[in-house]
Amino acid sequence: MSEYADLAEYGMEYAQDQGADYSEARLIDGQRIAFVLQNGNFISGSELPWKGIGFRVLCNGGLSFVSVDNLTKKAVRNAITTSVKMAKNSNPKDKIDFGSPVSNVAKWGVPAKENLHDVSLEAMITKLQDMDKVAESAGINTRATIFEAQSLTKYLVTSEGTKIESDLSMLKFYGIVTVKGILDSEQRFVDLTRSTGWEGTKSWIEEYENECKRIAKVAAQQDHKLTGKVDFVVGPEVVGIICHENAGHPSEGDRIMGREGAQAGESFWRDLTLGESRVGSDHVTILEDPTIPGTGGYYLYDDEGVKARERVLIKNGIINEPLLNREFGVKFGMGSNGSSRSSDFNREPIIRMANTYMKPGDFTLDELIEDLKHGIYMLSFTEWNIDDRRYQSKYVGFECYEIKDGEITETMVRRPVMELTSIGLFSSIDGVTKDLNFDFPGVCGKSDPGQGVPVYAGGGSIRMRGIRLG
Amino acid sequence: MDDTLKSLVDSAISTGQKQNVDLILGLGSQSVNNQIRFSQNKIDINKQWQSDLIDLLVLVEGNRVSIGSFSPRDEAYVKERVNAQIKFAQKMTPSPFFMGVESVQHSIDQSAFREHFDPRIVEYREKAPQVINTCIDEAINTGATRVAGSFLFGENSNYLSSSAGPSGGYQNTFYNLTVRAFQDELDASGQGLACGRIPNSAEKELVQAAGKAGRFSKSHKNAQQAKPGLYDIIMSPAVGANVLGNIPQDANPLLIMMGRSSLGDKIGEKLAPDFVNIEDNGLQPGGLATSPIDIEGTPRSSTSIFNEGVLKSYIHNTTTGNMFQAESTGNGAFVNFGMGSKIMAPAPTNVVFNNGDYSFDELLDTSRNTLYVTCNWYTRFTSRISTEYSTIPRDAAFLVVNGELSTPVKNFRISDKILNHFANIDAMGNDRVQVKWWEVGVPTWIPTIRVKDCRVTTATQ
Repeated sequence: MSEYADLAEYGMEYAQDQGADYSEARLIDGQRIAFVLQNGNFISGSELPWKGIGFRVLCNGGLSFVSVDNLTKKAVRNAITTSVKMAKNSNPKDKIDFGSPVSNVAKWGVPAKENLHDVSLEAMITKLQDMDKVAESAGINTRATIFEAQSLTKYLVTSEGTKIESDLSMLKFYGIVTVKGILDSEQRFVDLTRSTGWEGTKSWIEEYENECKRIAKVAAQQDHKLTGKVDFVVGPEVVGIICHENAGHPSEGDRIMGREGAQAGESFWRDLTLGESRVGSDHVTILEDPTIPGTGGYYLYDDEGVKARERVLIKNGIINEPLLNREFGVKFGMGSNGSSRSSDFNREPIIRMANTYMKPGDFTLDELIEDLKHGIYMLSFTEWNIDDRRYQSKYVGFECYEIKDGEITETMVRRPVMELTSIGLFSSIDGVTKDLNFDFPGVCGKSDPGQGVPVYAGGGSIRMRGIRLG
Repeated sequence: MDDTLKSLVDSAISTGQKQNVDLILGLGSQSVNNQIRFSQNKIDINKQWQSDLIDLLVLVEGNRVSIGSFSPRDEAYVKERVNAQIKFAQKMTPSPFFMGVESVQHSIDQSAFREHFDPRIVEYREKAPQVINTCIDEAINTGATRVAGSFLFGENSNYLSSSAGPSGGYQNTFYNLTVRAFQDELDASGQGLACGRIPNSAEKELVQAAGKAGRFSKSHKNAQQAKPGLYDIIMSPAVGANVLGNIPQDANPLLIMMGRSSLGDKIGEKLAPDFVNIEDNGLQPGGLATSPIDIEGTPRSSTSIFNEGVLKSYIHNTTTGNMFQAESTGNGAFVNFGMGSKIMAPAPTNVVFNNGDYSFDELLDTSRNTLYVTCNWYTRFTSRISTEYSTIPRDAAFLVVNGELSTPVKNFRISDKILNHFANIDAMGNDRVQVKWWEVGVPTWIPTIRVKDCRVTTATQ
């Protein structure tokens, strides 16, 4: 437990004394260690003691948020006085309601065999230098390596009796790599983030080497492009980003009801009916689950103290369940499903994804391929984007192979473009493999100021029929 | 800044000097920033961030560097942190990316920055919710049915002290409004932006931005599906800042070394027409990145990036200046990588395009296949070097026919190379404004710009 837990409780209670109907304190206390390397050369190291408290207060249906990094009683009192005043002054037409009280008391932590506090700085730097060497050996000309080890404790305490303590351990590795190719430079952002102790880095060198060799292979490809209509088989990395962008984001309750309107946008789900509207084929079931150990989106209680659980966003092609926090759980009449996340002490908790994936189907990869006369096997992607209603999406293939007569050939296809609507995309799927791989660790952005949170996404492989190339 | 934080920064430097470090440099920052977020015609939440921070760079044994950041409780804690950071630096691998910092103490003419501080900022916190409600009403009165947005404002005080010599302080205030207006349908919307330094003088500008959003949303009703093909695109300042603004920001040695720049080895090349001039100006009056000195204590300056379309120079701090046989341009910064990683490197201040000669009506006066795009988001690259990219226009967009805005259009992408756009700049408007919002992180002064032959794509199914 952090030495500042009492201060968090003091602030939460002081808000009650000042007239708050509801108050909460979210304390973060810990350390971040980070390094940056460029082409194997060390640029600098950072050690950041990371502490602060974010307070959220509800008064007469008005909501406020205040954060402090100066952890003294004086600063906390000042913050709470401001917070209560701002909430009272809001006096909104539609009063915010968090619904039935939540009073969970629990402790949870990221399973970590090798505590990051016990790992020497030398060991961390050596690991990064070894990783850079394998990238260089794979033919990567330009390499930026960014590493961060986070050991944080979080303490959430609310006026309804919730007390959640959590021990967080996260390893972040970002490799920004560029290879000079035959036709153009090829660039990738390799993300190996995971919620584990130091043991999570054991496979990093092998994973990074494998990824770098693939990038070098793509850079060496000839200019072979396809046009017209083709069938696609798409691997877990691309399935992951599709699940995240075309299903996860539009399922966010705050988007559906317009709260993100000016920034991340709204959602095409607004005009659909839960449990009735079809957005894809029967093969499409998309799940969201924060409780998967080791993943970037791992948590057991959300940032409002609600117990985490699996959410079924799309069930057999029909939209099924939005992601909800307490406020929007009331508005939807469904209650929170534990989707509230805050990226740091200085950010308000809002509705976020955690780990989003396509439910495995009945096929093997061979079975998906064997029926295809001509198509593309897209293993990974490069440029992508989607509109702010999450309806018009684009994915450009990175490592792609031509499929001919039921076989994946060695012929690479250069940068095929899938430019599809969400419904067009999900409706084209006629097969999903049995396997499940979280091949897309990423940082999901939302809100203003931005809140980047680690997420995972994945699935098996899927087959998409009759896609007209963009 | 209160004297306490200033004395704690001095204490940190003094502690490091007593330990005989080669260099210790600290930046104390004190800020109180507020935000009002609103949607569906009402305020959702009021926020405030209160922060006292010291960012500290320590150099030991010639080239072992560490950069830390902490909130200083008291002098004892500051000493504890400095000593911990020195020990941390001693364990670092030598860095070839440190080649010195500014060593001359430059005086700061505070009077030059008076226009960057609003002395009535404290009272403004009480007033701001009413200003936002006025903006919401204005957007509705001009045609919106739903209004959303965020309004960020606040005050910052900074104090720099370096064992190499420089020290100095400065303070500023700022405001930044994004307002987005919608019709009942999801895909008819408009955006207005306003930003600057003096919130108490900005109400008229804020309300005008809301009115613009409301009018755009109304005129975007019944938008038609755009057709793919080649178009000349008239980019609003918001779009130009997000898309074209990438090129001058690429004049950064850090990005070049990391393979993230389109401008490596291009000094002296003509990349845009003669009438395009762009500078990085750390002293731009009213600029949201304007300050008297950079993180090293080097005075800010104006650096010509493009002169008559030719790439003239990169921005530098002392280290990259040495690496590129140039002088520091006063662009030193602690650059964030991810959540915790920081390095000392060059960073852009205010990117300033020259104002053009064309009125908006003159920009519309074309017989070519032309689109007017008011806003965009989600710009992503296949290659930062070749600038192959796409971006998604959102909010109001129109076909231009017979010199006038015609059919509203929707659901399309600009999919091209930004270097191609840059070479194809056809005309620059005379309506330059400062842009900084969710999709434009670096304050960019830019007018409406017309670009020839841009490739537009749409969903195939």
